[in-house]
Amino acid sequence: MTYWCLFQMVLLLCFSTTALSRNYSLLRFQQRRSVVVCQKLLRQLPSTPQHCLEVRMDFQVPEEMKQAQQFQEEDAILVIYEMLQQIFGILTRDFSSTGWSETVIEDLLVELQRQMDHLEPIQKEIMQRKNFTTGDMAILHLKKYYFNLGQYLKSMEYNSCAWTVMRVQMLMNFSFLKSLTGYLHD
Amino acid sequence: MGIKKPFSCTNSLYIMVHSHEGGTRGIRNPPGPDEARPRSEVWPGHYQLWPRAQSSVLCADPPARGGCRQSWPNGQCALRLSFRTSNNRPPKPYSDPVTPRVSSGWLSASLLFLLLSGPLKDLCKPEDMKVVKDCINITRSFCDLTHVWVNTTDMYVSRVVGFREKAELVNCMGSFFLESDRPLDPPEFEIVSFTNHISVNVKFQSIDPRILSEEELQFYLAFIEEHAGNSVKRYQPQITGNITENFNYVIDKLIPNTNYCVSVYFEPKDPRKINRSPLKCTLFQPRRESESSESATMGGIITLFLITAVFISTVMILKRIGYICLRNDFPKVLNFRRLSVWVFPELPPLEKVATVEVIHINRKKKVWNYNYDDESDAENEAAPCVNSGGYTKHGLTGRLCPASTTSASLEDCSDPNAEEPYLPEPKGDAETPMAPGPGPWQSEGTSGGYQTRGTLRQDPTSEEDSDSTERSEGRIVFNVNLNSVCVRALEDDKDSEVTLMSPSRPEETVVLEDLNETESSLSVASEERTQLPFTDPSMECLRPQDAPSDQSDTSESDVDMGDGYIVRQVNLKKFN
Repeated sequence: MTYWCLFQMVLLLCFSTTALSRNYSLLRFQQRRSVVVCQKLLRQLPSTPQHCLEVRMDFQVPEEMKQAQQFQEEDAILVIYEMLQQIFGILTRDFSSTGWSETVIEDLLVELQRQMDHLEPIQKEIMQRKNFTTGDMAILHLKKYYFNLGQYLKSMEYNSCAWTVMRVQMLMNFSFLKSLTGYLHD
Repeated sequence: MGIKKPFSCTNSLYIMVHSHEGGTRGIRNPPGPDEARPRSEVWPGHYQLWPRAQSSVLCADPPARGGCRQSWPNGQCALRLSFRTSNNRPPKPYSDPVTPRVSSGWLSASLLFLLLSGPLKDLCKPEDMKVVKDCINITRSFCDLTHVWVNTTDMYVSRVVGFREKAELVNCMGSFFLESDRPLDPPEFEIVSFTNHISVNVKFQSIDPRILSEEELQFYLAFIEEHAGNSVKRYQPQITGNITENFNYVIDKLIPNTNYCVSVYFEPKDPRKINRSPLKCTLFQPRRESESSESATMGGIITLFLITAVFISTVMILKRIGYICLRNDFPKVLNFRRLSVWVFPELPPLEKVATVEVIHINRKKKVWNYNYDDESDAENEAAPCVNSGGYTKHGLTGRLCPASTTSASLEDCSDPNAEEPYLPEPKGDAETPMAPGPGPWQSEGTSGGYQTRGTLRQDPTSEEDSDSTERSEGRIVFNVNLNSVCVRALEDDKDSEVTLMSPSRPEETVVLEDLNETESSLSVASEERTQLPFTDPSMECLRPQDAPSDQSDTSESDVDMGDGYIVRQVNLKKFN
């Protein structure tokens, strides 16, 4: 009886692994599609960064964001989920000074939430069985980075230039997400 | 809690300080007295530093559109980024066309342009942009920035300055995020005209995947424009699924004999700046194709008809030969579908059953001497003569009865005293083999001269001795086969009348004249109805004596054979 239970558990693990691996291809496709959609929506938000050169700041972009190939699949999923969550938090702040379309912002939020819903089950499962890896450090750095962004917006009183700078940062974030998604293998 | 002072492009511009009162606020440096501080219309109330204009020439476009912050009378200034790809070489970004317009009176000399560019992360002010080496004091309106814009994930800011005679006339800036802002050259495509539509085949494999991946391709959909005369119709095809090489789009609802031109391009960032492909035109002529389609339709109809006819004929042939749909006309008794048959089985109809007693009679062979004298007794009993053919000859005594077919007359004629042999009636004791007859013999007086008395005839061919001495109510019944009988009339007995009856059937009773012992040669054939008559030449024939022949329908011919015998041939016409 015990051996039969063990056998069932082994089978279940194998199938779950297979299911997860199969989901990566679908997840990759969904993630790429989501990034492209977000980039298109951001393009619809008018801004002139050349006019806000002086208000730029160094937000201490994590070095991990410059090298996407170093992440493993599980770490990449955690990083992606964290970034989506942080961008979602930023876009929920006051952008009234920018004159941006609320519809575009709402579409952005919807797309971000959708992608997070796709990632959440896998992210929770990874968090439960994951040991300390380099992904954790990257997440800490990301948290610090987005904290600086939030603080910058707050200090700039959510003016248009601040949001212009935010837009530039989000464009760069989505570029990194796009490259990171490409490393989700089957 | 204090916040670390972040890096800023212009530390003098914004200084982040923390406050114990909560929140932070930025302190703006007051502008210098000599610095021009043009106020932007986009951001009212915000101060921004701009490079000091070197000339009074202003750009027409507002800063929000990437144009010069200075207006330029009767002129426009804009930076446009485009990519040109080739099959072998990587894409080369370059900034295109600064197309300033100059008024004829104000600027007569050509302009010299200067391009500056740099990544945003390294810029804190426009002066931080570096001059592109190949784009210094150029008269052309474009510049190759491939070696400058190396990172596609960075945002680059470019600036074009045009001047004449050291006077800055043009000053335009623009920012570009290459990954999302790069324009796409139109893809290659082919158009094919069909019977009722035009097919546009877009070749996506010509696009460098580094510029546009498969997932992005779906969101930078190609637009197809249809030009017919002066009208332009735009289509935005919906691309579903993964596209690897080609995408096919159908344009229908076209006007015959009309020239249609098609152009394909990607969705631009700026709707006003569409990078269209060259037009490809075709003449839509559906008539020629319709004829072939009509002939194809007719051929298809004829083929379908032939197939149907062959199928129907095959089915009919199979049905005729009984291979399929074989009819089973079973009798009703084999019809088991009715439940009542199973529940209440019908009894077969009752058949008429007659009880027949088979009496076997053992008789001794006797020679019957028939004595027709009324006074004669049993000694006058004639011994039956048995010929070689198996017939029993009986000598009859007594008065012959006229030919009568009724049993009553037979009864009258019969001699109750004579010991005429007769066939006994079945008493229920004897056992005789039942001869197959036409039916049950139940009643008397049937037509045809048969005496049906429920009596089974003895087989005359049998050698069994029959007991002929039994009498039954004084009747004498014989079956004589007249076809083989010769009747001899007795000369002495004048009173006796010989009536020769010619029965129609061998079973018909015949009353014959008594004969002498030696000359009795009657052969009585008591045989079955089915027994065929035959002539026995060994039989002695009788000589008829004034035998009344009331057999008017029979023809008789007498042949005198001498010695008192005549052969009477009776043609049984009526009775056969």
